[in-house]
Amino acid sequence: MSRTSNSRVSREAAQKVLQSYRDVLGVQCAVLFSADGFELASYAADDAASARLAAIGSSLAALGSAISSEAGLDACERTTIESKGGTVTIMRVGDDGDMSLAVVAGRNAVLGQLLWATKRCCQALLDNIHT
Amino acid sequence: MTRAEDAEFKIVFTGPMGAGKTTAIAAISEVEPVRTEVDNSDRESHGKELTTVGFDFGRITLPGGHSVRLYGTPGQARFRFMWNILGRGAAGAIILLDATRADALEQLDLFVDAFVPLLPPGAIVIGVGRSTESGALGSDVFAARLEARGILAPVLTIDARKPHDVRMLVHTLTCILESRTPLGACA
Repeated sequence: MSRTSNSRVSREAAQKVLQSYRDVLGVQCAVLFSADGFELASYAADDAASARLAAIGSSLAALGSAISSEAGLDACERTTIESKGGTVTIMRVGDDGDMSLAVVAGRNAVLGQLLWATKRCCQALLDNIHT
Repeated sequence: MTRAEDAEFKIVFTGPMGAGKTTAIAAISEVEPVRTEVDNSDRESHGKELTTVGFDFGRITLPGGHSVRLYGTPGQARFRFMWNILGRGAAGAIILLDATRADALEQLDLFVDAFVPLLPPGAIVIGVGRSTESGALGSDVFAARLEARGILAPVLTIDARKPHDVRMLVHTLTCILESRTPLGACA
């Protein structure tokens, strides 16, 4: 296996953490992915959908970092896409930028709840990383 | 005649991972390029440390005064959605290839197939890198492949680190564009 930086969190442990989205109103699916766009774990997304979300999510995370840096801000922690149909939020897991989590929610989701749950999920994923 | 698209246009640098897209844009851009590189965790596909997952952005001014926006795409097929986003509205594309890769011709086909539908007819130039290394395919092999497919596109051997070589690619593409569209006098 040549995946270098992201093998520190096991898929099983991450899948387990992502199961907590069952209890968050409106969440449709979630995908944990590497900075270069590989799916590492997912919740309620099939293989094809999670692979696509992982790739697009990594581009958005990188663009978020690019615009933060362009604006002279600190590293981008979260990018949230809002539409009439719902919300997608992409949050960096930890400070090194190795992984991010993308969560898709319908319009019945409460934004604050979604963001809070995602922050907790990222923390739980960090707690599961073996260094 | 003062519409923005008359005075400024967009060229896309594309091609597989490790072909030198980010390097090429950095070599000629007049502004510090925007980069979206991250750690490459897929060292089986390519041994390099960093890989572009969003896009590169740079800018140059042609001798005639036209400003050209340079966009670099990610190279991996899983980022194909970015190819479509970046290809939209482009005046032309430069496809960079690595002549030492065993799958270089398949990569040529992949990027030609992806970008021809997005671009004005004939607005493609091929830049072949590492062509002097042992085991490299000759540029004539790439030209033959294009010809067999009925695609007319110049094939240049280049070093993506050399500003002169990259400018030559851009110059070749702009000459094609100027011969087809009223961009102004050829410089």
